Amino acid sequence: MSIPAALMTGPTVLEPVVGKTDEMIVNLGPQHPATHGVLQIVLGVDGERVTRAVPHIGFLHRNHEKIEESRSYAQVIPYLDRMDYVSGLQNELPYCLAVEDLAGLEVPERAKYIRTAMFEFNRIISHLVWVGTYMLDLGAITPFLYAFRDREMALDIIERTTGGRMLPNYFTFGGVRRDVHPKFWQDLLDFLDYFEKVVPEYETLTVDAPVFQARSVGVGLLSQELAVNHGISGPNLRASGVAHDLRKDQPYDAYPELDFSVITRDEGDVWARSKVRMDEIYQSIDLIRQCAELAPRSGPYLARGRVKIEAGEQRYRAAEISRGQLGVYIHSDGGTGPYRSKHRSPSFVNLQIIPDLFIGQKFSDVIAILGSIDIVLGEVDR
Amino acid sequence: MNLITEAAKALRDIGKGMAVVSRAAEKGKHTNLYPFEMPEIPPVSCQSLALIIEADGTDRCVSCLACEKVCPSQVITIERTRNPEGKGFVLERFDIDLVNCMYCAACVEACPVSAIVTIQDFELSTYDLQTLKADKAFLDEQGRRAKQWYSPKLGVEYRNEQGEIQVAPLEQQPGGEAELLKQADKESDN
Repeated sequence: MSIPAALMTGPTVLEPVVGKTDEMIVNLGPQHPATHGVLQIVLGVDGERVTRAVPHIGFLHRNHEKIEESRSYAQVIPYLDRMDYVSGLQNELPYCLAVEDLAGLEVPERAKYIRTAMFEFNRIISHLVWVGTYMLDLGAITPFLYAFRDREMALDIIERTTGGRMLPNYFTFGGVRRDVHPKFWQDLLDFLDYFEKVVPEYETLTVDAPVFQARSVGVGLLSQELAVNHGISGPNLRASGVAHDLRKDQPYDAYPELDFSVITRDEGDVWARSKVRMDEIYQSIDLIRQCAELAPRSGPYLARGRVKIEAGEQRYRAAEISRGQLGVYIHSDGGTGPYRSKHRSPSFVNLQIIPDLFIGQKFSDVIAILGSIDIVLGEVDR
Repeated sequence: MNLITEAAKALRDIGKGMAVVSRAAEKGKHTNLYPFEMPEIPPVSCQSLALIIEADGTDRCVSCLACEKVCPSQVITIERTRNPEGKGFVLERFDIDLVNCMYCAACVEACPVSAIVTIQDFELSTYDLQTLKADKAFLDEQGRRAKQWYSPKLGVEYRNEQGEIQVAPLEQQPGGEAELLKQADKESDN
């Protein structure tokens, strides 16, 4: 069977506009280091201004959702790590929540706190990667070295408990897969004591630095209305002044017991998105401290049970991962695995804002805006 | 005048950044001189898989096929025959395709006798891809060379100098804190 010609070219391939002779078509990616993976953006450029922008995705497509249909419920979890490989632990949670709902499993108190602490710890790691690589895109190499130095210490703590660094395969239905390392909470608190003193250094080098401010303030304005209409979530939405945070709005695990407020900013530009992420690092530090204080030190970490998920049952559960709202929809046909498993990945939805944000901006601001959205292509393409 | 204040502000801001950099230089080095300095890898870390042979030379594996069934990547192949003398099975073949394995350690969790374990040997790079299609001899050798290994049923284990297998102390085990607390409670009750 031959592929139809319409699909080969598609509506996304840019044709030069007749009568506008000096518009140039520029390919950004898919091998551009600032695209954080393999994203291709075809840009129409008129002089210094971007006139059109078309993102091409799918270079990293690995068929996750179809693979999951042929696996059992438990076998799916290691595949979830590989979606958003920067925050692997966070990806597992919404799926586990959905299956727990379907199976009626009650998560033990201790497992809830371990999960929440790990979840927030992974947010720190994810934001550290963002600080490092984003500043690298903008030409500052120093924050990258510091961010990866601290990320390495954080990953060591995760590895001591889960056995994996980026692909831990740790959460499971009814709790966590194994008990924590004896020094887990102490390690966490020691790291946070050190890390709390380092975050102001990042702020000095990034959001407080005048060179960064000159490149970011007022650039890539995302209005509240546009953000809501596009379904943007996570720090990008909160930087546009919408106080939407699933940790507060649809609390899961130990979040109802924790004391925190949603961080928002009204500016909606690149700087505001960066500042929100910086503040979220402080917030995560505070949340982990609360978890360490409240978590029971002994007790069950996993609720075991044999349950059959009935045919026709379906559930959607979402969690606020570091990039936004990650949702998982599971439909059961009564078998051992999901009949259909759909992931609502925040990076994919956030990426849809690109044409609206790029048009009219200067060409050199394109990378600054793209990096501030914080996408991971593994999650966009799945 | 405006130029002077701007220049002064720029100098102050550059000074702030340079202060951060100089403070970081005092913190010492954060890198390993691999392979001359080996990184310290925690015992639960899953870098590769191995089969464990007891001190008396018998296989721990009872060929129950649990790992083969649970593997998400379907890389484990086991062939077994019925034991002619008595009950149980004789293991004929135990292959793991370490190229396609994603080291999720589902097999380790499924194993009822802790025969297949995770080890910390991460140096599996090779010129010939076929060597990573590991057979039983390869996996046994990995188990013999491993300093310590982990399985959920028995926890962290290691071989002592006499070649006997011992369980590591609670301070190194996952969940050791909870166990130590339990013991302390019992002692205080007595």
